Amino acid sequence: MIDSGSEKHLAGHPFDRRDFLKVLGWSGTAVALSGCGNTSIEDGKETVVSYVEAKDYVIPGVAVYFNSTCAQCDAGCSISGKVREGRVLKLEGNPDSAINKGKMCGVGQAGVQHHYNPDRVREPLLRNGDKGETITWEKAYALIAEKLAAVKGEEIAFLTGGVSGHQKVLLGNYLDSLGTKNHFVYEAVSPGVVRAANLKAYGVEMPRYRIDKAKVVLSFGADFLGAWVSPVHFSQQYAQFRRGVDGQRGVLIQAESKMTLTGANADRWLAVRPGTEGILALGIINALGTATGDVAELVKGYDKARVSRDTGVEPSNIDKIAALLKLRSPSLVLAGSAAEGYAHGSQNAAAINLLNQVLGNVGKTIEAPVSVPFPQMSPAKGNTAALKTLNDDLAAGKYKVLFNVATNPVFTAPASYKFRDNMARAGFKVAFAHYLDETALQADLVLPLDSAMEDWGTSVPEYLTEGAQINIQQPLMERLHPNTRGLGDIVLALIKQRRADEYKGFDDYYGYLRGAMLQNKGALGGGGSDDDNFWNDTLSRGIVKLAGPSASLNASMATAGLKLPAPVEIDEHYPFQLIPSVTSSLRDGRHTNQPWLQESPDPLTTIVWDSWVEMHPKKATEMGIVEGDIVEVTSKTGSVKAQVYLFPGIYPDAVSIPIGRGHDAMGRYAKGYGVNPFQIMDSVFESATGELAMHETRVNITKTGQRVIVVKDEGPAGGMQMGRKIAARVSTDQVDLSKEV
Amino acid sequence: MKDIREDIAWAKINQDVMKSLENPRKIYWVILFFAVLMFAVGIGCEVYQYQVGMGVANLDNPHVWGLYIATFIFWIGMSHSGTLLSAILHLMHADWRKPIYRFAEAMTTFSLMTAGLFVMVHLGRLWQFYYAVPYPNERWVWPNFQSPLLWDAMAIFTYLSSSVLFLFVGMIPDLAIARDNLQSGWRKKLYTLLALGWEGTDRQWRNFRVTYLTIACFLIPLAVSVHSIVASDFGMSQQPGWHVTSFPPYFVAGALYSGCAAIITLFIILRYVFKFEEYMTLPILKKIVRLTFAIAMVWTYLNCVEFASVWYSHDGVSKDLLIQKMTGPYAPFWWAMIFCGSVVPFVFAIKRFQTHIPVLFATSLLLNLGMWLERWMIVAPTFSHGYYPWTWDHDQWPSMIQWGIVFGSFGWFTLLFMVFCKVFPSVSMYEVKEMVYHRTLHLKKNEIGETAEQGAH
Amino acid sequence: MTATNLLENWASVRHFHPIDDKPHDPYKWAMAIDLDACTGCNACAVACYAENNLPVVGREKFLHGQSMHWMRIERYWEEDGREFPDQGFQFLPMMCQQCEAAPCETVCPVGATNHTQDGLNSQIYNRCIGSRYCSANCPFKVRYFNWYDYPTTENVWPAEMNRQLNPDVTVRGKGVMEKCTFCVQRLRAAEVTAKGEGRIVREGEVQTACQQACPASAISFGNLVDPESRVHKQWLTQQVDLDKDKQDKDQKEGGSDLRGYRILEELRPYPSVMYLERVRESAV
Repeated sequence: MIDSGSEKHLAGHPFDRRDFLKVLGWSGTAVALSGCGNTSIEDGKETVVSYVEAKDYVIPGVAVYFNSTCAQCDAGCSISGKVREGRVLKLEGNPDSAINKGKMCGVGQAGVQHHYNPDRVREPLLRNGDKGETITWEKAYALIAEKLAAVKGEEIAFLTGGVSGHQKVLLGNYLDSLGTKNHFVYEAVSPGVVRAANLKAYGVEMPRYRIDKAKVVLSFGADFLGAWVSPVHFSQQYAQFRRGVDGQRGVLIQAESKMTLTGANADRWLAVRPGTEGILALGIINALGTATGDVAELVKGYDKARVSRDTGVEPSNIDKIAALLKLRSPSLVLAGSAAEGYAHGSQNAAAINLLNQVLGNVGKTIEAPVSVPFPQMSPAKGNTAALKTLNDDLAAGKYKVLFNVATNPVFTAPASYKFRDNMARAGFKVAFAHYLDETALQADLVLPLDSAMEDWGTSVPEYLTEGAQINIQQPLMERLHPNTRGLGDIVLALIKQRRADEYKGFDDYYGYLRGAMLQNKGALGGGGSDDDNFWNDTLSRGIVKLAGPSASLNASMATAGLKLPAPVEIDEHYPFQLIPSVTSSLRDGRHTNQPWLQESPDPLTTIVWDSWVEMHPKKATEMGIVEGDIVEVTSKTGSVKAQVYLFPGIYPDAVSIPIGRGHDAMGRYAKGYGVNPFQIMDSVFESATGELAMHETRVNITKTGQRVIVVKDEGPAGGMQMGRKIAARVSTDQVDLSKEV
Repeated sequence: MKDIREDIAWAKINQDVMKSLENPRKIYWVILFFAVLMFAVGIGCEVYQYQVGMGVANLDNPHVWGLYIATFIFWIGMSHSGTLLSAILHLMHADWRKPIYRFAEAMTTFSLMTAGLFVMVHLGRLWQFYYAVPYPNERWVWPNFQSPLLWDAMAIFTYLSSSVLFLFVGMIPDLAIARDNLQSGWRKKLYTLLALGWEGTDRQWRNFRVTYLTIACFLIPLAVSVHSIVASDFGMSQQPGWHVTSFPPYFVAGALYSGCAAIITLFIILRYVFKFEEYMTLPILKKIVRLTFAIAMVWTYLNCVEFASVWYSHDGVSKDLLIQKMTGPYAPFWWAMIFCGSVVPFVFAIKRFQTHIPVLFATSLLLNLGMWLERWMIVAPTFSHGYYPWTWDHDQWPSMIQWGIVFGSFGWFTLLFMVFCKVFPSVSMYEVKEMVYHRTLHLKKNEIGETAEQGAH
Repeated sequence: MTATNLLENWASVRHFHPIDDKPHDPYKWAMAIDLDACTGCNACAVACYAENNLPVVGREKFLHGQSMHWMRIERYWEEDGREFPDQGFQFLPMMCQQCEAAPCETVCPVGATNHTQDGLNSQIYNRCIGSRYCSANCPFKVRYFNWYDYPTTENVWPAEMNRQLNPDVTVRGKGVMEKCTFCVQRLRAAEVTAKGEGRIVREGEVQTACQQACPASAISFGNLVDPESRVHKQWLTQQVDLDKDKQDKDQKEGGSDLRGYRILEELRPYPSVMYLERVRESAV
């Protein structure tokens, strides 16, 4: 796969041996040396590159950096892989990217553990009874062709996560060739409701939030520092926001029922009764007293006393917040996952967006998004409603062939979906998989995917920051396992079964991608340069920055249809609201088999390697529960048993279990650790969008009598400093930030 | 109360002591068997720990020291009484020490050897222990002479070698007796070799006396310094509960205390096992008991000094730790230490019990338990409740491997001690003779005095 | 081998924190961590695992307190009777403070932990015999001992996973002590490069792994004696003096309106890490 052009380019480019930090644009494959996956000297000798006559940029012991894109989540951070002797060692952020500006989160860092994971699927596997039988790719492709020949187009369904770039284009073409429109784009954790509410309020699904420009940020459960949309980018904005303008530090207020990482960093954290975020937003509009017309009419009933009673937020706090918002402008109000996890999530989000509009933030801290000038490449955004539809269709027996591209709905669908059973109703299930996870285990054919460090690709992140950009993904090293394939390569091979003529010019996905990029060279900003130069330049940057068209915001202060339900009464049988929390390191559980993330303590509880049930100490004391007690959490749907962690940052009538653990397959680091809250989640849906309302499950807690020691980093002193000056804190009136450098 | 008879024949002394080498009571073999068994358990644990890593001891970060260091101090402490009896009391011409100093000195040597083992067992990389030894090497890499641990290593090594020398030198006349009383066999060869050609000439006796006295004088400051240096391991550090100025005397007092208690225990065992009733008499025991009581009170006083100085020091962290010791998870052990160390010794103050063998035996074991707990309570709580609250660790509990090695060390010590008593005369024959001679001399003097008085009348 | 040799050599083994007689020249590596920017996200800690070949010990060993995170994020909350942590938590990234008068250095029996000329507290794995005295005397408890032989422990670095190991960093076997090195491998590389070019390392030329990853740029790192460095400027503005155990600004009446402080400074270890206090808005 070594591009002949790269050497030519190299010849014309003076390479400074000392400057080993220089970012090179040739895929890591080109420096794949011996000792990489070969068990004897004879094996793969044709790929051995001699150190005696090494490539000019290969200096033994000196690392070379290749730019690519992080595939651990959809934020699209650009990375720079440190490659030495043909091995990728570490991922750094690429400073040229406007998204992450050289920074990385822990999940991104752990990408190498996804690549080197010992539990990756290495060969195509065909189901033979309960076992998987290794087969060749030729056989696998032939089998797919055979199965597809026997069914009609509409009997084929494709389930993927969010896709974009050329992969999306190619996949779309393949679906076309099959004559199916059944492409389900599913993300277990997605801001689906917020997107819909934003579209209503601002005319766009995802505007650009400018936390850095805001003087006050009021966030309703948006964990933008931990797991929401683009955390690395928001963290950078947050740092700027804290430094502030002219020494006036930004103030963060977080209102939510269960403290998130962002909430833990707030100046004021408000414990809100689950589901009443919208009421609080309207209450603040009321307290501001600046609204007129419809809005004033709408919020009239939301006086402090009522709002306080409904939400549990003290009236004095509502006053203070309103005063602050009035005083310091611009501000920014965010509607996050906590607001949208309810059946009336759209209403909550709409109320919160209304607050933004009342405060006049639209256009100031809420800016129009940019988009890529190639609409066919723009991301297909995943949501949870897609899975619901697919599940219903599967249950109805609509599909005979199901392709699943690296999503894991058996793990992330609520148990009440019975997804595993419904999936079985599709006659032939193909899973494109990295691991033999819960869903891959149900497939008839498992096709092993390359890791993001072995594969070619382009992607366009949903949340673009300063300008439009296309992210380039290139191999950082040679395939670890010779029989894995890139998604692009597989789809290309499959589409050739259908449209051989159109695609015969492309030997592999790399050829397709290069061809496609070169075709649009002009539009991609490489007008003047020759093909090789443009291509190598593109790869060396890892990003194509574009002048994208900017959508315009269409702010309408619509109050029509905005109606918030009264807070739910406590149900005697199920007195607690279950909040399945999304943690910054495990997200939806796809990375649980990466040990760095398993052992990375949860920032709030410092728990590692296990799940926990978060309970407010007051409530726990009432029930005689102490830390480490194993409790049974029962909902209408089912029950799980897990250890209790007493945590003050939660509304007392709520309990929280983190998402991501509780795998019963996937690999040695994931299997058997913790519990999966999806197992007890009720099927309640958001009324306007059909998204799964993840916070709508009510549960009961019972002691089992067992007790364990909670495995966590925190010691018996808990969060106490015992009067020693360790993590010191000062209030803004005691400090002068303007002098700081 | 029966003391050593003044009219005991010197030949009988020889005979009695030599007999102890031949036919102890059966219980001797039982003790030996259990000692070997215990030692084997310890060896097994150590082999496992060596293979797998120190983690099997269930030590952790930051609780990096555990029973090994505590038991190390315990054994070092035990060693002190041998020196007290053999050297200090020698200089003070306390004749009553003579029948018992030999085994006390052996106890010193063997407990030092046991303590040395714990240094090894404790090391994460035992196979590199010699890095801590200042040996000349071409790269001029030296150990760190600032480290109290290095002072420790050197002090213990010096103390051990001096103790062995002292024990050996003191034994030469007896070895000669043993040599002369045997006809053939390995024992004869061994004693011949070790007696260094002792003939008991006047010149030899004179040189012997000078040598013995010199080593005794050398040993006393050494003994005091050794435990002061062990105290420095803690006192020189910066940790709460450790950086206490009074630690050196406190440690020395504790050492003498535990040593005396151990002497009482071993006294009672030896007396029975080797049938030494005639030599290890109750009046001697009574003297040791009184001495032990005195030291117990000194220890108690120094304990109070330590608490008081922490209490009034305005050092919040140390005070926290002290309160934690009294009330936290270590409280049962801490209070047990106070009980065993400061309350139990009052048994010794009761005259009736001063010669009551079963009571003394039980009490001496309790005292030693208390002293072992003391060492543990010095080492462990500082780790579990130190400067940095985030790393507090109240749940740490030594694993069976740690307990096994501690247990094994008692087997090792008993084994060494029992073998020694079987191979070497554990009662000094020549000094008992001296003692008897001194007494007869004393009696004669009195008689002469009396007659002279009578004559004057 | 003479006594003079011995004594001279001994003197050079111990390089105390240079104050007057031996000023830091040309490097003194130091850090400043802004707790108001730190979000507690753990990116730095994971980056440290990636850079420094830290073993993942697994659930059981973590339970026994045998984890190896050189950088740990501590989470504080002073209860003081409140029902909710309504002013948030406080996060504190804690790693070796690279003390100038490090309590760990003097106590090591074999001199395995030393001060370097550029102000680092170094750990020589080869020399370490595992007495653990250094950890015992560390007030911050940031030293981590290899309780097991992690390279050969099951599932620590199984096949393939071991290929991620950084060849610039020793993989530690059982029985040695380890801790944060300020990414000494990166520092040395930069120092050597700079030396070859006849200059000193420039500001921004070298980053520690944690600093590089930190999404909020809360960590700044550099040469404290280089007036151009951000760290130098921060320490200067915050009036935190490396050689003092009590800062002048804190002696003033009414305290200081500056945020810089060092943890457990009063114990006189002279840490090389300055923290900037977390700020909380007084208006809400």
